[in-house]
Amino acid sequence: MSQRVVDQVKKQFPGAVLESHAQHGDDTIVVDPDKWAEIARFLKESPKTSMEMLTDLTAVDYPEREPRFEVVAHLYSLSKGHRLRMKARVGDADGNHVEIPSVEPLWASANWMERECYDLFGVVFKGHPDLRRILMYPEFEGHPLRKDYPANRTQPLIEYRDAPNIEKLPPFGNDEGMSFGRQTHQFMNDEE
Amino acid sequence: MPTFKLDDREIPFEPGDTIIQAAHRAGIDIPHYCWHPGLSVAANCRMCLVEIGPPPGRPAMMLDILRQDPKTGEYVPAKKPKLQPACQMRVAEGMEVKSESSEHVSEARTAVQELLLLNHPVDCPICDQAGECRLQDYWLEHQGKKKRMHDEPVHKPKAQVFGPTIVYDGERCIVCTRCVRFCEEVAKDPVLDVRERGNLNEIVVSPGRELDHGYTLMTEYVCPVGALTATDFRFKARVWFLRSARSVCQGCATGCNAFLDYDPRNETVYRHRPRENLKVNKYWMCDEGMLDYARAHEERFVNAYVGEDEVSLEKGVKAAAKALKGVDPERVAIVLSAQHSSEDNFALLTLARDFLGSGNLFISGKPHGEGDDVLKHADKNPNTRGVEQLCSTTPPGSMSELLEAIAAGKITHAVALGSAAPVDVEGLSQLNKLVLLSPFDGPLAGYADVLLPAATWAEATGTYVNFAGIAQESERAVRPEHDARPAWKLIAALGRELGYAMDWQRLSDVRLAMAPDAGAAVASGSVAEVSAPTGAAE
Amino acid sequence: MEPLDIDLDEAELDIPAEPALLNVGPAHPAMHGTVKIVMELSGETILRADVQVGYLHRGFEKMCERGTWSQVFPYVDRCNYVSPMLNNVGFALACEKMLGIEVPKRCQHYRVILGELARMSDHLTCTGAMAMELGAFTPFLWMIKGREMIWDLMEDETGARLTHSFGRVGGMAKPPTPHFKEHAAAVKDQVLKILDEAQALLLGNRIFLDRLDGVGIVSPEDAISLGWTGPCLRASGVPYDVRKAAPYMTYGEYDFEVPVGTAGDCFDRFIIRFQELKQSARIIDQALAMMDDEGPINVEDPRIILPPKEEVYSTIEGTIQHFKIVMEGLKIPAGEVYSYTEGGNGELGFYLVSDGSGTPYRVRIRPPCFLVTAGLEKVITGEMMSDVVPCFGSLNMIGGECDR
Repeated sequence: MSQRVVDQVKKQFPGAVLESHAQHGDDTIVVDPDKWAEIARFLKESPKTSMEMLTDLTAVDYPEREPRFEVVAHLYSLSKGHRLRMKARVGDADGNHVEIPSVEPLWASANWMERECYDLFGVVFKGHPDLRRILMYPEFEGHPLRKDYPANRTQPLIEYRDAPNIEKLPPFGNDEGMSFGRQTHQFMNDEE
Repeated sequence: MPTFKLDDREIPFEPGDTIIQAAHRAGIDIPHYCWHPGLSVAANCRMCLVEIGPPPGRPAMMLDILRQDPKTGEYVPAKKPKLQPACQMRVAEGMEVKSESSEHVSEARTAVQELLLLNHPVDCPICDQAGECRLQDYWLEHQGKKKRMHDEPVHKPKAQVFGPTIVYDGERCIVCTRCVRFCEEVAKDPVLDVRERGNLNEIVVSPGRELDHGYTLMTEYVCPVGALTATDFRFKARVWFLRSARSVCQGCATGCNAFLDYDPRNETVYRHRPRENLKVNKYWMCDEGMLDYARAHEERFVNAYVGEDEVSLEKGVKAAAKALKGVDPERVAIVLSAQHSSEDNFALLTLARDFLGSGNLFISGKPHGEGDDVLKHADKNPNTRGVEQLCSTTPPGSMSELLEAIAAGKITHAVALGSAAPVDVEGLSQLNKLVLLSPFDGPLAGYADVLLPAATWAEATGTYVNFAGIAQESERAVRPEHDARPAWKLIAALGRELGYAMDWQRLSDVRLAMAPDAGAAVASGSVAEVSAPTGAAE
Repeated sequence: MEPLDIDLDEAELDIPAEPALLNVGPAHPAMHGTVKIVMELSGETILRADVQVGYLHRGFEKMCERGTWSQVFPYVDRCNYVSPMLNNVGFALACEKMLGIEVPKRCQHYRVILGELARMSDHLTCTGAMAMELGAFTPFLWMIKGREMIWDLMEDETGARLTHSFGRVGGMAKPPTPHFKEHAAAVKDQVLKILDEAQALLLGNRIFLDRLDGVGIVSPEDAISLGWTGPCLRASGVPYDVRKAAPYMTYGEYDFEVPVGTAGDCFDRFIIRFQELKQSARIIDQALAMMDDEGPINVEDPRIILPPKEEVYSTIEGTIQHFKIVMEGLKIPAGEVYSYTEGGNGELGFYLVSDGSGTPYRVRIRPPCFLVTAGLEKVITGEMMSDVVPCFGSLNMIGGECDR
């Protein structure tokens, strides 16, 4: 249905659409991160696409890839009834220089979602008026949804109380809770 | 290279390859139980059946069968192609083979799978194979249905003791004869055979014999199901909790590639498994090596000692430095160890040569034992060649030479790595001071004035050079226990305490420093290069 | 006893003049979830507001990456804890979309009925609590009584009142109980009765209406830009309902309407939920009539669904199937999907990324509440201090879903 939207973007921004697919019927484009905001503006304002709503914006971390992060936005056109997933790949292997233009001026919903994305992944949205942590507390170190943030790490603001016979444990042990298929021998990640 | 077609994919092959071999090399797994790349072909499980297209211009060989119409229940005549076992069929140029894409093949696999599970007991919850069992994997992949037989299954003896290391469960056995073929072909001791026929057949040990040759645990390893289990591993751990480190066996100079399986939750090592390396150990390991994993937790030193007193690591290093400070370097002996990795030995060598200025190098290690013509080497130390390569200019003296030097009063102090010794070392008691870095208790430990707890091979990554000169990396599995630290770290700390600039923090720092010494294989420091089964430096 | 400040001259007191800064929350009793609002006040008018969330963040999305796909259900339960069944079904549908399977018709109706009952419980809680916060305690108790009936039914069906974890990829954990249909119909009737009574009590009350009418107006443009969905968006006059816009399961087969507001004020957001309750009842009526009494609930694929327990203990095939699914988890082909359903508060989306293993690579929950709460700042800026409570109540922020 929204294949036309994909074509529109490709026509308007030749070379900026790096990939496109429609897996499970979800039309997807992968765009040049520098053109992120421009394409977003076009998608919102062009009468043929008119994506009035930014339904979702998040990121996915692929530590073995470079660029490492995928910023994923889901757009919806209320008037036309079509959807589009727009992705851009940013950041180097160490998780630095994760920068992408903000779309906050286009959609008010981007304000909090970009803050969340910054908080949990460390994606910096250039031009965001108020890029603070939102779910985690300001003292928190690191970005918890990055794959290299250990799930068993805890950062209590107040030291755990030292109660006899009670050990405060993080929710997961080393590698615990992973299904059989995802088991890894983690040693390479440790400092030696 | 000539090619053939497997499910419409072009697969290259070498003349003489069977279909399953060529597919295996191309990374395609044709389901199989009885075929093993290191054993002869038996073609008895029938799981690897594939459909092979007829030669050009010839009609396909078709069988007349009766097929039940699911609607009417009547049997109607039908035709189906004659399927061939992929493990036995040799590939020919241009051959067209259908595996996953043929409905006849999937039907046959379903039927084979149903048959194999017909009399199988409901043992998964108590079976050590659960989690790495072919029956489980293939049932889901190729059958996924309930069996149609509802009779009482055939019962056979369970938990029969085959020998000191192996227990056999006849009910779980699918009689693929891998263990029989292994004993005959690799271990050269045909002590197992098949008895009876049909659903009554089972594996038996020759009358009057026990399964007790040097490679009994390999029969458990080749067993694709839970029929053969190792006494050592039985009921100890569930495999899905275990992680595998790619280690190198420490049992002898062969340096068999192994997986060291450990539980990350309690940092305990549970077993060895052979790791395929055609240049070194092929697919196999000996019993001694398989059971050698247990040393990771046995007779360990996990604290520093000064004399008889347990002290903190920091105090231990200080005491060690104090023992060596101001001593005439000519009177200090440096004992390298064939039991330790090249990195550990290099660290000690650097301390001796570059900083202490002592040229009195000696080498310790375990005494020689028996070897055989399969895998076992008489040299029971994993890194003798590594130490030799490190000291290529001045070969180290033996332990006997050290003892002579001590008796002659030439040596008064010693720094030693590892506590194993090939000879009686009572003469060490004449030493003024002995600083020992060792993970294990051993002959040398009794004479140590200062003992620093080193990490075992299971706790530290290191390079080992086998008798053929192949440098191989062994990965760390568990974290070092309590105060134990990799020996190179302890040596660096000792060096710093003595006022030398030994500021290595990571293993890669040590490797960078040793690059000119240890040959190109280790220089790159990358895991892939070191552990790759190439680098025969001979 | 003399007052302590008897000697103090008011001029000496260092009371900050305008604007005054006021912190509300995170534990203020009128706050639905744990939220903190820092307000700059001029008199009683709010000049600026900063809404701060995250007090209930438990790292669900991180935890989802450490279990099997089925082990995600308990987490989505605990996102929206007033209508967990909708989240269960939403997540199951996302996984099924990736697997390319569809559950049997009977299961679809069953999911719809349980889901709509959950929506009723959600709206009952929201509207009841809103009335309570404005001083009307009686309707709250009545509505909670209605919710209690729904929860009793849920307990009957699932074994748990609140956190059911009842959804499964490829079906439901259990088939409906034999008396499910009568029970559901009876509960629905009772709730409708309670609704009429509560409506009579509230909609004739001048004080109640005055506090809602014309307060917290949001224009349709703003609501869309804020990414609002669900009742809040519809109150602003945008007829977007996922059940109508992109019908999933059997929603295309039912006859129901999407109530739409006109003014976009607190009253609209309140009354829209009342009307949706009635629409949910209509859907339940139709689904009950369409649902078969017999037939399978789950898809028949041993790679996805657990075998019956008696087979696990008596046959090797059942044991293997159970073992593989529990220990390795069901495998979802590598890829990504965005699946969306109408949750209690709007579009509940799941963006899933699978690497083909039994463990999710990424589970992104698109919570409607998060975006609705993001709009709170806009809603209350310029309003009076006392309007915060009805405004916030009308948005129905669910802390668990907002913070995850």
